[in-house]
Amino acid sequence: MTLETMLSTMSIGMLRTTGIFVLTLLGALPLGMVVALLKKSRFVVVRSVISVYISIIRGTPLMLQLLVWYFGPFYLFGMNIGGWRYPAIILGFVLNYAAYFAEIYRGGIESIPVGQYEAAEVLGYTKVQTFMRIILPQVIKRIMPAVTNEVITLVKDTSLAFTLAYQEVFSLAKQISASQTSFTPFVIAGIFYFVANYLVEFGMARIEKALDYYK
Amino acid sequence: MIIEMNNIQKQFDGLEVLKDISFGVDKGEVVSIIGPSGSGKSTLLRCATFLETIDGGEILYMGKRAAHTDASGHAVYVSPQELRHFRSYCGLVFQQFNLFPHYSILKNLIDAPMHVQGKSKEEAEDIAMDLLGKMGIADKANAYPYQLSGGQQQRVAIARALAMKPEILFFDEPTSALDPELTGEVLKVIRQLADEHMTMVVVTHEMPFAKAVSNRVLFMDGGVIVEQGDPIDVFEHPQEERTKQFLRVFER
Repeated sequence: MTLETMLSTMSIGMLRTTGIFVLTLLGALPLGMVVALLKKSRFVVVRSVISVYISIIRGTPLMLQLLVWYFGPFYLFGMNIGGWRYPAIILGFVLNYAAYFAEIYRGGIESIPVGQYEAAEVLGYTKVQTFMRIILPQVIKRIMPAVTNEVITLVKDTSLAFTLAYQEVFSLAKQISASQTSFTPFVIAGIFYFVANYLVEFGMARIEKALDYYK
Repeated sequence: MIIEMNNIQKQFDGLEVLKDISFGVDKGEVVSIIGPSGSGKSTLLRCATFLETIDGGEILYMGKRAAHTDASGHAVYVSPQELRHFRSYCGLVFQQFNLFPHYSILKNLIDAPMHVQGKSKEEAEDIAMDLLGKMGIADKANAYPYQLSGGQQQRVAIARALAMKPEILFFDEPTSALDPELTGEVLKVIRQLADEHMTMVVVTHEMPFAKAVSNRVLFMDGGVIVEQGDPIDVFEHPQEERTKQFLRVFER
């Protein structure tokens, strides 16, 4: 196998990896906010359910969670899981990352001084207006470093999709390496992950800088 | 009367912070509230501005009842929508300013008028620039709060409250977080507002200011109003032993 065929095969894997990455962020970033707000709900049942969810997600390996999402419907309900592979991967990633994002958001929300809420309340803002106009913009600025960390971890975690035999860049590297008795595919994969994260760091630094207009 | 508070009671975890307090403020009146820390001054302001809920008593704005004690002895408030209407009668200036750091000075002043009162941007900006001019900080309209001194920030906070055109403005120790050389500029604007007959209630430790500017002084201690009256009377001929004792600390 020439380096060229190797690269072109693996670039398809890179696209699939990017697909998991993008879909996970699109799902987990907003879902995390919903989870964070539910965790501050005034209903104790809601709070408890959310706490258990976060606890389980953080307390078990993502690899295991992916296996559960994929094979669970079959073992638990005898369902046909043909075609379920990709949805299971995305579901597993989104639910996992939403839990981590939720905790980051919660930390950010709780770090906003109570005086901000009180000033908004006295001025007559509704609760929704207070959150959207006053609290959330400040939260976003404060949590950027923590979110960057999580996004970088996600780039690397996408490789766990190989557990479900999904042909993303890491699975392909492993297969090609075995069939060609070559280490080159791993080097290519490594460069891919590094470059991807370099772009993430660059993009996030730009956003942080854009939010630097106030303290 | 702009505001009337009758028999206000407030507890925090069983600790009685306000014990049956009654007071009212007439239009154009400037009332100073003095007293040691923990006497309930701030809590009284926070109840008046609906940041805290009372446990008992009655709050009226412009003769309309916002809260009262029902037959079962619990304090009940009007609906949240109606409460928002009552909130529009009052403004509050905090000790810690509490400006919105992500908004420019101008945006701090126009955001609530636009999104709470539904004013147009032009109208809100006209009012805001007018107020900033009055506060002597028109040149700071496009700056952000962190770029301003404490005294300037507090003047912005006063302007932000005034931009809502409240009937009455409450001040919770407006100069306590400021360096001594910056308190003067804030007291000056409050004095200027008093000259324009803005109705105000000021919780303060600035005794000379309270004496010079207010129409009436309340001395609070232990959750009750110990003494109140004309500033000259309260400061120079206090009747109660507790008042004399407190004022003596300020004589150097």
